[in-house]
Amino acid sequence: MNAKDLGTKEKITWCPGCPNFSMLEAFKEAIVELVDKNKIETKNIVMATGIGCHGKFFDYLNLNGFYCLHGRLLPTALGIKLSNPTLTVFGVGGDGDTYAEGVDHFIHACRNNADLKLIVHNNQVFALTVGQATPTSEKGFVGTTNPLGVKEKPLNPLALALVSGASFVARGFALEKEHLKGLICQAAEHKGFAFIDVLQPCLVFHNVIPYLQKNIYKLDENHNSADFNLALEKAKEWDLSFDKDSKIPIGLFYKTEKPVFDDGFPQKKVWYKKERKIDWKNLTKNF
Amino acid sequence: MEKTILVGGKAQQGTGITSNFLGRIFCRLGYYVFNYRDYPSLITGGHNFNVLRVSDKQIFSHENQCDVIVALDQETIDLHQKDLKKSGFILGRQGLKSPKLRPIEAVPILERLKLAPVFENNILIGWLFKYLGADKEFLFKEAEKQFGEKSERVISTLQAGYDLNKDFFSENKFKKIKGEKHLISGNEAISLGALASGIDICFGYPMTPATPILKFLSKKQIQEDILVSQLENEIAVINAALGASFGGAKTMVATSGGGFALMTEAVSLAGMAELPVVIYLGQRMGPSTGVPTYTGQGDLKFALNAGQGEFLRIVSAPGDPEEAIQRTEEAFYLASKYRTPAIILGDKHLGESGYSFDQIKNSETPNKRFIVKNPPENYKSYKISENGISPQAVPGQGPVVRASSYEHNEHGNSAEDAASVAKMNEKRSRKLKYLEKEIPKMTPVKIYGKGKNLIVSWGSTKGAILDSLSELPDFRFLQICYINPFPQKEVAREIKRSKRVILVENNLTGLLGQVIRENTGLLLENKILKYDARPFTPGYLIKEIRRKR
Repeated sequence: MNAKDLGTKEKITWCPGCPNFSMLEAFKEAIVELVDKNKIETKNIVMATGIGCHGKFFDYLNLNGFYCLHGRLLPTALGIKLSNPTLTVFGVGGDGDTYAEGVDHFIHACRNNADLKLIVHNNQVFALTVGQATPTSEKGFVGTTNPLGVKEKPLNPLALALVSGASFVARGFALEKEHLKGLICQAAEHKGFAFIDVLQPCLVFHNVIPYLQKNIYKLDENHNSADFNLALEKAKEWDLSFDKDSKIPIGLFYKTEKPVFDDGFPQKKVWYKKERKIDWKNLTKNF
Repeated sequence: MEKTILVGGKAQQGTGITSNFLGRIFCRLGYYVFNYRDYPSLITGGHNFNVLRVSDKQIFSHENQCDVIVALDQETIDLHQKDLKKSGFILGRQGLKSPKLRPIEAVPILERLKLAPVFENNILIGWLFKYLGADKEFLFKEAEKQFGEKSERVISTLQAGYDLNKDFFSENKFKKIKGEKHLISGNEAISLGALASGIDICFGYPMTPATPILKFLSKKQIQEDILVSQLENEIAVINAALGASFGGAKTMVATSGGGFALMTEAVSLAGMAELPVVIYLGQRMGPSTGVPTYTGQGDLKFALNAGQGEFLRIVSAPGDPEEAIQRTEEAFYLASKYRTPAIILGDKHLGESGYSFDQIKNSETPNKRFIVKNPPENYKSYKISENGISPQAVPGQGPVVRASSYEHNEHGNSAEDAASVAKMNEKRSRKLKYLEKEIPKMTPVKIYGKGKNLIVSWGSTKGAILDSLSELPDFRFLQICYINPFPQKEVAREIKRSKRVILVENNLTGLLGQVIRENTGLLLENKILKYDARPFTPGYLIKEIRRKR
């Protein structure tokens, strides 16, 4: 399989040089690797995208897909997965999607550990609506709707995922394509909810590329991803601010095995294939 | 022959179970019943009451005046004594205060049998059926059917109560008559209709008065091989339902006005992405949190207009459980065939009241799946077609399958150009034209009676109206069962050929009247509207209609 085969004829409308291009390539290459290694079949892949620049993955990837409502990709993805357990469902969301509009679903997805993969394009800004603050915008950020600047500290997605019970927590950097691809492959193979927050700076409204390139480092084999407290410590190492230099770890922070939501239904199956014979007499016998 | 029995007490004293049990015994004896449930929004204490009307003729409503009050506490007597008929009496434990009380010494029996106070109810039931002249075997058989392991204890208390009544008997005996009847609530009917339709997945979030559907289906999920899951909120519920629908599962969600309000953005998504979903909207009196455990019909226009943008929303309104089964089956069929949301409008009165039938029937509505088998390699999720319907394939079959909240082209990819947008709007709107041809086969209106005057209504008011017609020989009743597509011709014809027309609704502003005007241009000025969160009774309705003469 070739990464090019995964593309569509749609014109790509991201700004020139946008880190989304790199993310799209990383995603395609991860899919190619997973398919080539017979981990998944292309026809069984579904992506559920949110609304924002990231959501254009839907148009640029020739895969089964659901272009969801803003903020609602996680419950939609859950429904897809429960309708057919043979599908591998990738959620592709933005920071506005996941941490503002749909933060309730995010917490519950971490908690219930359904077998879904979530990749969040975290550019710390509402980009497609041309420049407003999201919950991950740093304190002091001035957007078009908050000229007085953001007053609160940003939400820490990794820490939130960890304390909410997520079983796979990772951070990638959009411009570290190979590294990100590796994380996506690991997420796909994880049984349960796998979450990757990807730092994907917006060139126009939140360009922090120099800061990120200076401070990012990769968690290496010495990092024990089975250690929850260590993961939480690493998650808190950087508070998503830019006022002073702070090291930013990327990689797999935490991975554990937990009961999977879908497995709580022993009757789960590919429902559309089920043939039903309705026994009306039996259904109504207790009335 | 008719009797009305009121069972009242505090929540947790088992008034609902007792009344339902009484009703089932009468059904087993061959009588028709109607059971009205009245309870406030609390868990323990307060005042709950059930009004059980029993008759040898089919009935669909209750009256407040009763022949017997089964009082589980003093408050029941204080509140309802005024509704007792002159010939009536109150049944309750020794120590309750009323000149009409037939005191029952339940405590020594319970002590002897070593049973909890809640078994007192069965002593009263046993006593009552002796009074009514019923053969006790029918009580015992019903107890076995309903209470399983507990039935032995229930039977011992029924027997004790039966034996206790040695000298007080009714003139009208409730002997076994031909044919058993079957007691069913609207919520049970919606659930059965869903099972008959081949539902695969139900997502839900509890909200009165729709929770019993979630409860019913979740209990049956293993046995019936369906999947039922409660999620974090109604927004998750409907979006998950649409995800599952995209995956090819038949899905339903059940909620009330507040939950439905949260769902509306995704109702619009169902319209745009063209995904089948059945939504049961059990109304209660609003606005807002409103009167949670009481009834109302205030969401008619809300359902018709739910969600941003223009798209096809099928809206039907069953008037009793038999129709609820039928409309649910139709909702699944139509939603799947037309790839659009179908809303069934019920309410607390329909959902939680018990109705009786000779037979619980399902309809002839086909319950096949509309998923295409072996879709071609060049399959298009939104193929432009003459009738507007694009056959639905699902992920996993092979070809790429898409669903989108954005306007899109035939492949499902986003499209903003003028021609595509217009074309897709037209494609979706053609589904309505096609559906309008199919709806007449589904009894979109029903007419009862032969009078020259007309009562027009919808939904759960049907029961009280039907039971009033014998007293109103000049009136026919037009029940509107499909609100969208609206049976414009039939409604206009009936209104025009009537001398006087009265609109009856359980709401403040006569919403159906507004819909009729919008669709037919006809203005109904004569209205009987009830907005105290309580259902109509025939007595009330007949009085109001006579007043209008």
